[in-house]
Amino acid sequence: MSILNFVFAFCMLLLVFIFQTTLTGLNRKVTARLQKRYGARWYQQFLDIFKAMRKDSTSHGWVFDFGVMMALGGIMATVTFIPVAGFRAFPGTDNVFVISYLLAVGMLGMAMSAAGSGNPWASIGVGRALTNMLAYDIPLMIVIFTVIFAFDTASVGEIAELQQGMGILGWNALRMPLGGIVAVIALLGMLGKKPFDSFIAPAEIASGPMVEYGGKHLGFMFILHEFMTFIEVSLILNIFFGGGATIWEYLLKYAVLYTFMNIISGVMPRFKIDQAVKYFYRVPLALAVIQGIIVIFTGLGVTIWF
Amino acid sequence: MNLSIILIVLIVTSLAAYVLTKVNKKAGALVTVVGSIFALVAVFLLRDFIGNEVSLLYFNFRLTTAGWYFSMVMLSAYSMTSFFNIYWMKKLIYPAAYNFLYILSMAATLGIFFAKDFITLFVFWETVVWSSAFIILMGKSRKAAYIYYVISAIGSMAALFAIMFAYGTTGTFVISDAFKGLSGYPGRALAIFITFIAAGLAKIGIFPFHVWLPSAHGNAPHTFSPVLSGGLVKMGAFIAFLSVTAFPAYEIFSDSVAFRGVPMPVYIMMVLGAISIVAGTLMAIKQEDAKKLLAYSSVANGGYILIGILMLDQVGFAGGMMHLINHAVASAAAFLAIAAVAYRTGSTKMSEMGGMIHRMPVTYLVYLIAIISMAGIPPMGGFVSKWLIFQGLADRGMIFVAATAFFGSIGSFLYVFRPLSAVFLGQTFTRDLNKKEAGILMLLPMIVLTLMSLLTGVFPNIFLRVIAEIQTSVGLLPVTLSENTIVTNNGFLDAFRVFIVFGFGFAIAFVLFVIRRKSRKVDLMDTYTSAEFIHTRELLHYSHSFYAPFERLYENAPDTMKFYHKAAVKISELGNLAESFLYGIKPAGTVLLVMGTVLAVIIAGGVL
Amino acid sequence: MVLEKKDTRNIWEKIGDYFSANSIWMKWYCTGCGAIEMPPTMTSRFDMERLGMGPMATPRQADVLLITGYLSTKTLRRVIYSYEQMNSPRYIVGFGSCTINGGIYYDSYATINQLDKYLPVDLYIAGCMPRPEAIMNGFNALIEMIKKGEANGWRHYQENYEWYKKNQLESLGEVIIKDEFHE
Repeated sequence: MSILNFVFAFCMLLLVFIFQTTLTGLNRKVTARLQKRYGARWYQQFLDIFKAMRKDSTSHGWVFDFGVMMALGGIMATVTFIPVAGFRAFPGTDNVFVISYLLAVGMLGMAMSAAGSGNPWASIGVGRALTNMLAYDIPLMIVIFTVIFAFDTASVGEIAELQQGMGILGWNALRMPLGGIVAVIALLGMLGKKPFDSFIAPAEIASGPMVEYGGKHLGFMFILHEFMTFIEVSLILNIFFGGGATIWEYLLKYAVLYTFMNIISGVMPRFKIDQAVKYFYRVPLALAVIQGIIVIFTGLGVTIWF
Repeated sequence: MNLSIILIVLIVTSLAAYVLTKVNKKAGALVTVVGSIFALVAVFLLRDFIGNEVSLLYFNFRLTTAGWYFSMVMLSAYSMTSFFNIYWMKKLIYPAAYNFLYILSMAATLGIFFAKDFITLFVFWETVVWSSAFIILMGKSRKAAYIYYVISAIGSMAALFAIMFAYGTTGTFVISDAFKGLSGYPGRALAIFITFIAAGLAKIGIFPFHVWLPSAHGNAPHTFSPVLSGGLVKMGAFIAFLSVTAFPAYEIFSDSVAFRGVPMPVYIMMVLGAISIVAGTLMAIKQEDAKKLLAYSSVANGGYILIGILMLDQVGFAGGMMHLINHAVASAAAFLAIAAVAYRTGSTKMSEMGGMIHRMPVTYLVYLIAIISMAGIPPMGGFVSKWLIFQGLADRGMIFVAATAFFGSIGSFLYVFRPLSAVFLGQTFTRDLNKKEAGILMLLPMIVLTLMSLLTGVFPNIFLRVIAEIQTSVGLLPVTLSENTIVTNNGFLDAFRVFIVFGFGFAIAFVLFVIRRKSRKVDLMDTYTSAEFIHTRELLHYSHSFYAPFERLYENAPDTMKFYHKAAVKISELGNLAESFLYGIKPAGTVLLVMGTVLAVIIAGGVL
Repeated sequence: MVLEKKDTRNIWEKIGDYFSANSIWMKWYCTGCGAIEMPPTMTSRFDMERLGMGPMATPRQADVLLITGYLSTKTLRRVIYSYEQMNSPRYIVGFGSCTINGGIYYDSYATINQLDKYLPVDLYIAGCMPRPEAIMNGFNALIEMIKKGEANGWRHYQENYEWYKKNQLESLGEVIIKDEFHE
């Protein structure tokens, strides 16, 4: 681990930020076309973030500031762990458990600073966000556990590499179709898109945890959201859709997956939080367990394949 | 310096504490502090004498690495908590008895971990149980001590049965030999295994024996709950450890049905551990009292420790053993933080407090790091042990246990966040606006425990080397370590690297934050309320029924305590039946019956 | 309103104003009868998002406060509270004739006649109610003003704070407060 790794990590952060923010802007246009209107400019998301960073801000104490910094710091560290088409900024740190649990640091930091604002809307939003996490994570973790058992490795980069070279039939989403479906539904929950976005409901709980954020805190939250989206989509892309052998293939697959998620969420209403929990513990959990039993006890889809 | 000298010194210290407290309470509490720190240092120095055997009166001790590890965990919990005794002397009804029993129970735990034969183990075990039961009695509720003692007694009597049965079969009490001869008797082996490990289950607080944890931890004096949770439940983990190593469960049961490589009796115990993870997590989310919440979290973490230890493989076993120290340190720190808050505000109910961070920032940081470790988030220690347990489960492909382990891990985010947000964050109540931070002697042990949490997370190999020695001493392949990395079948973890990169990310965020203009500071009450004007702080604090939508989903879950109550009713009815049979109005019939039975037995014995 | 023709901003402020102009977030607070014209402006037919504008839930996050129509003194009290919670740079746009001179409620005891005496207004949009086309025109004008650095109502508020406070207190009269439920 030398200075070069850190330089690579910093460049990776910059490039990821630019790519993801552009993609979000383009997806705002896609959502707009779904609603028969023109939509914002493709670089609108950049303007939003820079405007938020430029404004003055109000603060409610040191926890309010510290939590935001801790959240963004943890998420930026996690982004540097994601393997992109064989490139790793810090070799040997792309263990799937490390990535999932470092995501929780981001959530904890945001929860801390939101609750530190003293506003009850923020605490309600955080409670819902944590319940949402409990809902989508269990089916997803069961399927990821199955993949780890089947491929004998917990490193995200290695799982991606093991699926390449066989074309589309090598993807885990096709070898373990039930698991693939669960992963895509859980990704919708992870991203916080409709129908699972009750924790940022703007009119219901005044945007939940972000209720007291203004100026640079809000800018930090937007940047955090971009990075978190990148981490989550990359995780599912690498584990279930084969990553990408080259960087262009990776970015193309990423863009298609993210736009697909966006289109699904563009036509959905919002679940209440207990409806979301009940939903995840019915069909996705059943599918995940059935998939696990199939792979662990019979090997169908991994050792027995075309 | 050998073990018998340490034990004698500690017993003398406990009597001195009793006498001195009668004279001056603070001096007596100081004696407990000095005594526990002495024990910590002395046992630490015993590491070089591993393998020795000593005897004290009728008790025989052998120093093993496992015993040394367990007692260091126990003594850290005891010694750090003892600092709080000084502040609590004026709140206890019997301070002299408290100090006496504190040191006595600590001395007795040393006897358990270093015991060479089962009689020693049993005597010291019972000493710990009754001394801690009397301490719990000094808390808020008497019923808590009864429940604790009854459940402990169920476990202890079952273990006594197992020990005696094994003695009858193999003829020895020595721990390392008593169970080895049981391979030829599969039926007996099963009965002995189940009754022996029942003691461990009762002490850790595994379903269905978990009912004593919330009452005991919730109602014990505030200075003893950290010891109960961080220390005494580890005694049960020691029994579980013995039940798979001294009683070689995997060999004795190698003929029975194996599920993913684990023999069925052991697997059933793991399933009980998994159920207690789920039950502990769900019950913890519902609680309104901070100490009961942490008690249920001890139930859940006890399930992790049990699953880890019972896996008995290269990686999962190390994870279970490491979770011992991680959970002890984190749980003790969390309980101590809540005790510090209770010292200032007088209550542990979360809906009666709020915004304590502005008055007690160091206590807040201690609690924050403790919950980061308990929830299993890097870079703290809890992540490393949970990572090892997950890797072990993935190796064997035990999907159902793994599902509950993930549920417990994610569910722990919910319940550990609640005291943070309800007690420390949010609006400060008007009556708490002028409270002071906890005293320096309270902050010192909390800071030490926090640094230990950080140490186990960033440099886990310091502790894993000790655990690797334990693994070799019981015949397992030790977990592979190289410098800072932990290597397993499925991948490797470099905890220090994760910490450094986290620091790098934080540095970038910090720079990004300070290059913009400084924020305008506003009061907590100047907040978005849809432009309504608010004047009462207490009404704006969200703490009661925090996870109400989620709690509604399992409102009507069955309660184990009700089962125990109904069982107690049935047993007392059975007693009434026997009473009506044997103790009639005219005793003549009973006497005749008894004499006739005794004569028949004597004649039958004489004939045979 | 202070009319300054000289552009005294430095390069960072100019860049910042470019960002602020192209991404204005309105506070989702519908004060009067003019609010009925906001949903058509926001939705698919007239599509405010093309200009970069969008609604935001709380004053801490918002840039522009739209006073859509008449303003009773009760609402004025809360509008002032919301305005002071916003982060600078912040703008106010007055819709309709009620904000300019009282409109059809000019002789009411409960409404105010001239918004500019109580809060600094950057832009008025004439009409009763202005239709979405007029609103889009007005927003375009606001964007141009911000880009040129002319939308300085918030600075004017900070510099003449006592004058504004005096006017506000005169309009509100006497308010007796016991607690949240008895005002």
